[in-house]
Amino acid sequence: MTSPLVEIRGLEKRFDLSGSLLEQITFKGGRFQRKQEAVHAINGVDLQVHKGEALCVVGESGCGKSTVARTVMGLLSPSAGEVHYDGQRIDNLKGRDVLPYRRKMQMIFQNPYASLNPRMTIQQTLEEPIHFHRPELSRDEVRGKVQEVMASVGIDPDWGSRFGHEFSGGQRQRIAIARALAVDPEFIVADEPISALDVSIQAQVLNLLMEAQETRNLTYLFITHDLAVVEHFGTRVAVMYLGRVCELAETKTLFAEPRHPYTQALLSAIPKLEDDRPNYIRLQGEVPTPVNLPSGCVFHGRCPYANDRCRQQIPQLITTDSGTQVACHAVEEGRL
Amino acid sequence: MKSDTPLLEVKNLDVRFAVRGGDLTALRGISFSLDKGERLGLVGESGAGKSVAAFSILNLIARPGYIAGGQILLEGKDLAAMSERELRKIRGNRIAMIFQDPMMTLNPVLTIGTQMVEAIKAHRRISTKAARDIALDKLRKVQIPSPEKRLDQYPHELSGGMRQRVIIAIALLLDPEIIVADEPTTALDVTIQAEIMALLLDLCEQENVALMLITHDLGVVSQVTQRMLVMYSGRIIEQGPTREIINDAQHPYTQGLINALPQMGEPGARLFQIPGSMPSLKNVPTGCPFHPRCDFATDQCRQTMPEYVRSGNVDVACYEVSNLIEQEKRMQEAGS
Repeated sequence: MTSPLVEIRGLEKRFDLSGSLLEQITFKGGRFQRKQEAVHAINGVDLQVHKGEALCVVGESGCGKSTVARTVMGLLSPSAGEVHYDGQRIDNLKGRDVLPYRRKMQMIFQNPYASLNPRMTIQQTLEEPIHFHRPELSRDEVRGKVQEVMASVGIDPDWGSRFGHEFSGGQRQRIAIARALAVDPEFIVADEPISALDVSIQAQVLNLLMEAQETRNLTYLFITHDLAVVEHFGTRVAVMYLGRVCELAETKTLFAEPRHPYTQALLSAIPKLEDDRPNYIRLQGEVPTPVNLPSGCVFHGRCPYANDRCRQQIPQLITTDSGTQVACHAVEEGRL
Repeated sequence: MKSDTPLLEVKNLDVRFAVRGGDLTALRGISFSLDKGERLGLVGESGAGKSVAAFSILNLIARPGYIAGGQILLEGKDLAAMSERELRKIRGNRIAMIFQDPMMTLNPVLTIGTQMVEAIKAHRRISTKAARDIALDKLRKVQIPSPEKRLDQYPHELSGGMRQRVIIAIALLLDPEIIVADEPTTALDVTIQAEIMALLLDLCEQENVALMLITHDLGVVSQVTQRMLVMYSGRIIEQGPTREIINDAQHPYTQGLINALPQMGEPGARLFQIPGSMPSLKNVPTGCPFHPRCDFATDQCRQTMPEYVRSGNVDVACYEVSNLIEQEKRMQEAGS
């Protein structure tokens, strides 16, 4: 296999909650104590995104999927671990050295109502990244580029002088996609790009993303909570839970035979058209807080198969016969 | 099962919003009924009028909105013509409502217990102690762990799923006959959504409460409801038994909605997409509001709104469907 386009190694990200030194100090039982707290958003994630594929990261709120997206883009700096792009480490680059990667990597956000500047016309919104990344282009060339990219996402190029608020949600997301495509990127991180849209519009935007992938030879890191979309769109899927990848597999394999107990529960919870009643695997309790991570496997408190080993030892990803990578002691021991 | 007079009957309801430059019609000639213990789904995309329909059932349309015509009959009594005083006896008591965002519904500065006791005492003359007991009983019904403790907690101390359980418990406090649930699980994760939907369904069955479920998720509708209404641009365009509509939708819009779901398509292939988007209330097209997006639109569709025709047990407002039915009839007559 060729080397991956994007590689994440041992990624960790903590968000400090405790504030300044004075805020950390408490007086308890006759002595001063210093207490530091942090949200453990990502706890050791390894992922590889290969050229031309769409790697989907799924999970419920708080599992760290958006943090992964933002760390890959360099919007957040990792607490530990590395991000590589095409063989080059990029998470420690500074200043001018980052710029070429900023052009090659683009991001599409969830909410097109928030991601478009309300004071800029669409023309300005789309011209800005081109001016910035390709200052050598003349005004006419930039304008031509904008026209082309608008047409390719199905927005009439004559609407360039309008503002974001004059468009519907679906159209705004098309414009956000156009902005990402304007600088001819190779790699796109899409963080829940269709979650804010209506069903019939979701289909339009999803089709547009697939079309762009084919015509422009794009690679996607696609963050979503919607498993039905993943099944349709993804080449491979990584399922995350509390900042860890618990299962990683080809889309088809994952949906045909999910191995991790959490993946099984997650898949069973999708409401299906053919069901006459809610039909799902009941999990005990709720997702624990990422401030105090459980020991051992992060899922053990809710897992019906958990034993003492699960409570103590953190499971690592192992590769099964079907090629699925799964982090579960029960699968490893053949109990599941 | 069908009694002579349904529990709730909405007849030809028109709701308008008075804005500068004339009235906007949000609901146009809505008619449906709800029997005791029946579960009805209300489906449509944003702007279709689902929530306005739900609010109008409780006559909760606030200015500038107003009910311009039609009746809302609760066991024969017209809610649209009732005084605010009489309505207050019905709201929360005989018809309860569950909203999308539990954090918006719960008062952040009052404990759960205070809010529940307050709701009971607004309708019944009983002691605080007795009201607390009812509250405790309902919290147990929605399977909240350690309910005694929850009564003294504030909303922010609970997770999203727990809060929605509290909301359901509050809805059940006065043993209502109808629960109107407006997107009750949209703000929640899939696994929590499955739990809440299963709980709501169980409770409605146990207590024989009628449920009106507003959602955009066809999977949920198919799991929970017996009958469904599909709304588009302020009209009901199709209504009938849920299973029949999901399996064999008649209206081109309903068909489009179902086919646009990622699970309906071949993985990786283009999804079926309905072109365009729902018209805004400011310029609803003449005739059938769906005609600009419809493949089957004729001049007739562009000029007049189709009447309902019956196909199986489903009522559909579409000329294409009525033409097909006519054709079939003629074929049969010719055959015999």
